[in-house]
Amino acid sequence: MASFKQRIVIAIILAFTASTALAQYYSGEHTFDGEHEHEASASVTVGKNIITGPCIGNTLHYKHYFNDHWSVDGGANLQYTKELYGIKAKGEYHFKVKSFHMFASAELLYNRYFKYKTNEIDGNISIRFERGYWDITLGETLINYTIGKSGYTELPTLTFGAHATLRPRTNNWNVGLLFRNYDDFYYENWNINWGLDFYYKFNSRWKMFGEFNIRPAGSMSQLASRYETTGKLGLIYRWK
Amino acid sequence: MKKSILYSLMATALLAGCGLFSSCEKVSPQGVLMANTSVDDRVRQSLIYYTYYGEDLDWILADSIDEYSFLVGSDSHVTFDPGRLAEMVQTGIENDDLFYCHLGDLADTKPEYYYNTKAALYDATRTWKHKYIKALIDEHHTADDGMFYDQRIEKFTKNYLRPWDDWNLPFYPVVGNHDITHNGWSLFCDQFKTSFYEFTVKVGEKYDRFIFLDSANGTLGDFQIDAIENKALENDDKPIRNTFTFTHTNIFRPSMNEFASTYCREELYYLLNKLSEWGTSIAFWGHVHAWDDRMFNGVRHITMPSMNFKDHPNGGDDLLVRITVKKDGTCEMERVGLHSKEMSKDELEAMGYYTTTK
Repeated sequence: MASFKQRIVIAIILAFTASTALAQYYSGEHTFDGEHEHEASASVTVGKNIITGPCIGNTLHYKHYFNDHWSVDGGANLQYTKELYGIKAKGEYHFKVKSFHMFASAELLYNRYFKYKTNEIDGNISIRFERGYWDITLGETLINYTIGKSGYTELPTLTFGAHATLRPRTNNWNVGLLFRNYDDFYYENWNINWGLDFYYKFNSRWKMFGEFNIRPAGSMSQLASRYETTGKLGLIYRWK
Repeated sequence: MKKSILYSLMATALLAGCGLFSSCEKVSPQGVLMANTSVDDRVRQSLIYYTYYGEDLDWILADSIDEYSFLVGSDSHVTFDPGRLAEMVQTGIENDDLFYCHLGDLADTKPEYYYNTKAALYDATRTWKHKYIKALIDEHHTADDGMFYDQRIEKFTKNYLRPWDDWNLPFYPVVGNHDITHNGWSLFCDQFKTSFYEFTVKVGEKYDRFIFLDSANGTLGDFQIDAIENKALENDDKPIRNTFTFTHTNIFRPSMNEFASTYCREELYYLLNKLSEWGTSIAFWGHVHAWDDRMFNGVRHITMPSMNFKDHPNGGDDLLVRITVKKDGTCEMERVGLHSKEMSKDELEAMGYYTTTK
C-alpha cells in the first residue's frame, strides 16, 4: 500500500490532471475573427535535450482563413543544434455544435533528423473541442520512419491534448496550462508533455506568445524522467 | 460555465479519491509526470561497480569448445511463486547453456517478492555450482573420500581455484520499470549490483559482446548516453564477432494490444543508429509481454513475451529464447517452453517462500 504522504501526492497530481483536462481553453491556435484572413508567426525555441544537449531553433507558420469554416496552415521547424528540420501542412474545418467550437483537422508532417540519418513522416487527424476556458484534442497519428534502407510504420497511436487558461479566449492576455503527447513538430506515443503558456495581444494585428514545455521520457508506470525542457517566445502578425 | 466547473470538481474529486484509496501496488501514478528514481543515479552506481568488477564478468571459452548457447527470458514479475524464474535457470542448467539473460521486471516491487526471487536464485546457484564447479574440480583433483561433498569443494576451491562463494550464477538481468517503482532499485541492486554493464565471450581470437542497458524509465538518460559515447564500457577495441544487446523498454510494438514505445523521438533514432553502429546481431527487448521478431537496418530485433504465471497460467512452448552461437559465428534461435504450474500457498510455505505481504 502506498503511504499516506504518497497518496496525497498522487491525489494532487490526479487533481491537477483532471482540472487541466476539464477546465480548459486553447490559445495556441487562432480562429477567424471575420476580418484578418492571413496570419504569420515566428518564434525562437531554446532548451536542453538529453540526447542532443543544448538546443536552439526557429519555427515559422503561415495560416490562411478562407472563411469562418476552412483554413490551411503551413509551417517550418529549424532546430540548428539538433540538426532537425521539419515542414508541415494542415487543413482545418471549424463548426459549432451547440456552444462547442469544433475543429476537425488533417496534418502531414515531415521531419529530417540529420544527426541520426532518419526521415520521419507523420499523418494526423484530430478533432478539437473548444470552450471559453479550455479545449481538448483527440486524434490518431500514423508515424513512419526510415533509417538507411529500413522503414517502419508504427501502429496508429492515440493523440490527446488538453489546455486550460486563466482568462477567456477573448481576453487580450492569458496564461494557460497544457498537457499533451504532441507539439507543433512532433508526435509522441505515451510520453506526456506538460507546461505553461501565455500570450499578450498588443493590438488586433500583433500578438506575443510563449511557452515553457517539459517533455519527459517514459510515463505511467515507467516513471517519467527528464528528457527535454524548452522555452519558446514568438510573435504573430495578422492582416487582411 | 457553472456546469463545466461542477463537472470539473466532480471529476477531480473522483480521481483524487481513486488516488487516495487505491493500493497502487504496481503502478506509480506519481510517475506519470515525474519519476522518483533516476536512471542517472543508477548508471553512476553501476559504473562504479563495473569499473571494479567488469573484467570478472568476461568469459574465455576453452579451445575445445567451439560453440555455446545462452538463454533469454523476460518479465517474470515474481510475487509469491518464483517457480517460472527457477524453471528458466533449471532449463538452462539442464541444457548446458553458458549463461542466462533476463530482460527486466524480475519481480513486482515488494521486499517479500524480492526475498522469494533471491531464494529461488540461491537454490539455482547451488544446483549450478554442484554441476559445473564439481566437474571443474573433479577434472583436476582426486576426491577425498573422508570429507563431505561441500567441504571437499571448499577445500579444493580455496586451495586451487576461487573460493566457493565467489562463484556466482551466470544470470545477467537488466532492470525493468517494475523493478524500480516504490524505491525498488535498492532491492534490485542489493542482489544484482548493476544495471549498465557488458561482458565478452572469447572464442578463439574473436569476441562476442553482450551489452546490458538500463531503460527502465523509458530512457537511457544523459549520463548513460555520455558513458556510451565516451566508451565507458571497455570492449570497443576488441575484435568483435557478434554483439548482443539487452534492455527492458521496447522499440517495436507487436500489436495494438500492447503499448507503443516510450522512447522520445531523438532517443529512439539514436538507439537504432547506435545498435547498427555496434554491428549488433540481435537486440533483445522486453516490457510489452508479447513476441515480435523483425530486421531493421541490419539488426535483428526480438521483443520477448513474459514468462509469469498471470499471463501464462499453463505455461507455453515459446516463452524463452535460446541462441546458439556456432563455430563460424552464425547464430541459431530456438523458442523454449516453460510449463510449471503455480504452487499452492502450503507448498510455497513449505519451501520457505513468503506467501503474504505486510
